[in-house]
Amino acid sequence: MSPPGMRFKSAGFAFAALAVLFLLPAVLPRYYLYLLSLVLVTGLLATSLNLVLGFGGIYQFHHAVFYGAGAYVFALMLMKTGLPAWLAYVSAPAAAALLSLLMGLICIRLSKLYFGMLQISLGSLVWVVVYRWYGFTGGDDGLQGIPVPGALSSTSGAYIFVLAVCLLCLALMYRIVNSPFGRIFQSIRDNPERSAAIGVDVRQHQLIGLVLAGAFAGVAGALFVTVEGSAFPEMLFWTLSLEILVMCLLGGWLTFWGPMLGAAIIVVLRTWVGIYTDYWTLILGVILMLLIYFLPDGVLGRARKKKTIENPVAGAGKV
Amino acid sequence: MKRKSLIAICLAVGMAGLLCSPAAWARSIKVGIVDCYSGPPSTYTNDVRDAFKLVVDQVNAAGGVLGRKIEFFARDSKFKVDLGLAEAKELIMRKDVDIMMGTINSALALAISNLCKKEKVPFFVTFAKSAKITGAKGHRYVFSMNENTAMAGKAGAEGLAKRPYVKYWIAGDDYEYGHAIAGGVWSNLKTIKPGVKLLGQSWWKVGEPDFTPYITAILSAKPDAVIVATGGRDCVPFLKAAQATGFNRRVPFYMHTATELATLKPLGLQAPEGVIGTSNYYYYYPQTAANKAFVKSFKAAYGRNPAVGALYGYVAAKFMIRGFNKAGKIDTEKFIDALEGMRIDSPVGPLTLRAFDHQVMYPMFMGVTHKVPGMKYLMAADIVTLPGKDVMPAVAEIKKARAR
Amino acid sequence: MGFAGHVTLAAFCQQVLVGLSRTTILFIVASGLSLVLGVLRIPNIAHGSLYMIGAFLTYSLVRLGGGGSAGFWMALLAAPLGVALLSFVVERGLLCRLYEREHLMLLLFTFALMLVFGDLVKMIWGADYRSFAEPPFLQGSVLIFGLPFPRYNLFLLAVGPLVAIGLYLLTNRTKIGKIARAAAVDREMVGAMGINVSWVFASVFVIGCFLAGLGGALVAPTQNITQGMDHAIIIEAFLIVIIGGLGNIWGALLGALIFGLTDAVGILIWPQFAIVFPYMAVVVVLVFCPKGLLKSIW
Repeated sequence: MSPPGMRFKSAGFAFAALAVLFLLPAVLPRYYLYLLSLVLVTGLLATSLNLVLGFGGIYQFHHAVFYGAGAYVFALMLMKTGLPAWLAYVSAPAAAALLSLLMGLICIRLSKLYFGMLQISLGSLVWVVVYRWYGFTGGDDGLQGIPVPGALSSTSGAYIFVLAVCLLCLALMYRIVNSPFGRIFQSIRDNPERSAAIGVDVRQHQLIGLVLAGAFAGVAGALFVTVEGSAFPEMLFWTLSLEILVMCLLGGWLTFWGPMLGAAIIVVLRTWVGIYTDYWTLILGVILMLLIYFLPDGVLGRARKKKTIENPVAGAGKV
Repeated sequence: MKRKSLIAICLAVGMAGLLCSPAAWARSIKVGIVDCYSGPPSTYTNDVRDAFKLVVDQVNAAGGVLGRKIEFFARDSKFKVDLGLAEAKELIMRKDVDIMMGTINSALALAISNLCKKEKVPFFVTFAKSAKITGAKGHRYVFSMNENTAMAGKAGAEGLAKRPYVKYWIAGDDYEYGHAIAGGVWSNLKTIKPGVKLLGQSWWKVGEPDFTPYITAILSAKPDAVIVATGGRDCVPFLKAAQATGFNRRVPFYMHTATELATLKPLGLQAPEGVIGTSNYYYYYPQTAANKAFVKSFKAAYGRNPAVGALYGYVAAKFMIRGFNKAGKIDTEKFIDALEGMRIDSPVGPLTLRAFDHQVMYPMFMGVTHKVPGMKYLMAADIVTLPGKDVMPAVAEIKKARAR
Repeated sequence: MGFAGHVTLAAFCQQVLVGLSRTTILFIVASGLSLVLGVLRIPNIAHGSLYMIGAFLTYSLVRLGGGGSAGFWMALLAAPLGVALLSFVVERGLLCRLYEREHLMLLLFTFALMLVFGDLVKMIWGADYRSFAEPPFLQGSVLIFGLPFPRYNLFLLAVGPLVAIGLYLLTNRTKIGKIARAAAVDREMVGAMGINVSWVFASVFVIGCFLAGLGGALVAPTQNITQGMDHAIIIEAFLIVIIGGLGNIWGALLGALIFGLTDAVGILIWPQFAIVFPYMAVVVVLVFCPKGLLKSIW
């Protein structure tokens, strides 16, 4: 994304920012640490969606399914088996990736909007199973009191862990986007026919992208359980998927950091607005409408627009 | 890097907004309420909050508790567990509330209960009916201000056992509440009256739009009576379908919340007659001075008759106030010690908070729906009172459930 | 409990009838969704909200009319018209500026509408449960195969085919219907012929939303009218449209039949797991024909 020279120059700034982030537990009241953890988890989830949405041009309408799948697999492994916690942390993304592969294999044959709608349908089936399988998943009660490892059960412990894992995942995704694979992936977004014509296996690349995005969403799910100690069926409900889409739109889905920013704004705003009014839903709806009309590139997309060469793709405003 | 500083600025502005909210009322007793005030459940939760406010306002006007005012902060969870839990953390960690209260959603109640256990903040559950709250998952910091599924099940069984039915069918909401009520009624009924037979069961999804197919399926099996374990928003459409198909005239059925005001009022005169139901409270029963006074003050303040939620809000406020007064200072542990086994007066008579599981021992009123001349909706008649001690699950049972 | 052993032929036929009356509502709502999807290519998530608003409006109008038969008929007509008017304002005021955008933007815009409508309903009608009775001559039940069958459901059984025929005539016999079908296939072509595509879209959108309102109005007397009705119906409607074939009205009918009948028959033969039947049907259909049963029109 940014030129290598600039990356080198900003290394000092990045290091300082990292140091501040890791030292925050010493100064910040724990409620704000908790809020920051939520921002990070939600931001990771939104960034993982953007991997396929913004960079792959795939209409991933029901991304939350993989988030929820990761959370439930993680929670159930800790609750129902005696296996060590690290294995649960590995299984969560693995299971989410597997689910993503299965759903991807069914949906990938279709294009754009049809893909998205079929995915919402299949995702709703997964949600129904979780919501109905009263004996195993706790049904609508969800799972509470999940035995998260002791060191991570305090607010600051969870924050440090979430921060470390999120940074690792973001770095990995950044590498993926800028790798040869990432570039082919983006060229498929811009022009699938031409990519196919020059010998790129479009479906295979898209499938790999879906599996990767699913896996990162699974990590986010496991992290959410680490922070909250609970998992709920709402985590797989389609409205959450659309809320994540809104975060990507708000931050700017042609940028790497946009979804993280969008998630931060939504999570903080939701908390703040919720203190004063019961009409958060209305406010979110109005914000979304204003965004679509006046800021279709998102906050970061807008800020960077002058720098970017013209890019006639996924949601970049007027075509 | 421009974008990073942007992120930093946005975060900082957001955080500053949160930090700068007024820190007034520093010396008041703070109660945090998280409950669902949007969507169908708010029919019940508004009553809880309003009755709670009524008592608190009276106490504050008279000088407060231990010389301090009681202040409460209500947050709308929108029936979402993750949102409600985040709000509870905001109230506990940022507002530093002394007591948590809410919620109608059992999943959220269990999640907040878990949080309050960790944070050592007393949590007064209002309306979530899962028996797990004070049963298997109960602990020192959680208190139930309402009946639970175990109590409703036992009450239903006590009432049904007195009737001559043998062949039963069970139908209900396929989620925690439905299974718990149905299981509670059935296991207790079999104990009291071993001859009963179960012909079959049907379970529908919450928010089922049309109950006619279930009703015709049940009718074709010809049971003597049906136990309908449905609650909340499904009560109204079920009773409508029962009226349309004449179900209530063909087979008698028991439905826990059938006689409650929130269920019967919207149905008007179209509600089916002769449905057996149980409830903790009717504004017209018992006809005691305490109840009449409560109804009068509630009606004066809000222009409507109190439903069962109002009783829960009232009882929660009373226990809190008595608890602090008895403890003599603002101290969580002393407050809890004071509450255990405490007895208060209420519109339904004296109520005791059982020391072992922190469950209020409510009496249960079993009645049958019928039309009353001059009223625009049906009311409960032939009301039988089942005393609190008879419908409570035994302490030994709870010990067993917690040991598991 | 396993399979119930009491299923008689009479009970089975009765249950099919019950399933068919449920199909009527599903079909009316899903066909409106399918119409908008086919012509405008908008997955209208706010469709469920319009269904909910239709039900609330019917409630208010019936109350206004005093609860008699005349009031009911008036409400049954006026409530969907009110919904259509609302959708007309939204389409001309907001949505029509977005047609050149990505589908994703349109989808998110309808999501924003759903959020706003949800809270507006909460502001206007409040939290209490709402309920009103069927008109007097449709109350109670008649005996069919020896089992009680609600009169109102009989009425629904009659309405379903009427709406289907009306839609057929509208799309095949009227000018606007033919233009709309042409626009669904190739909107540039229709525009090139000098037809104002924007107004074609507006008409189709309004008709689709009218159907959502009609579904809400028809279901209102049998239900508890509450917030949250929108969430419940929209996923079912989407599933029906998907298994039927996007944009195909007969597909919506077929999908609604599959959904309504599997549900009703499932309740009879295996009540505990009845809910799984329609979803199983959806999975089976989608695994074998991911594009739906009937040809989608685009």
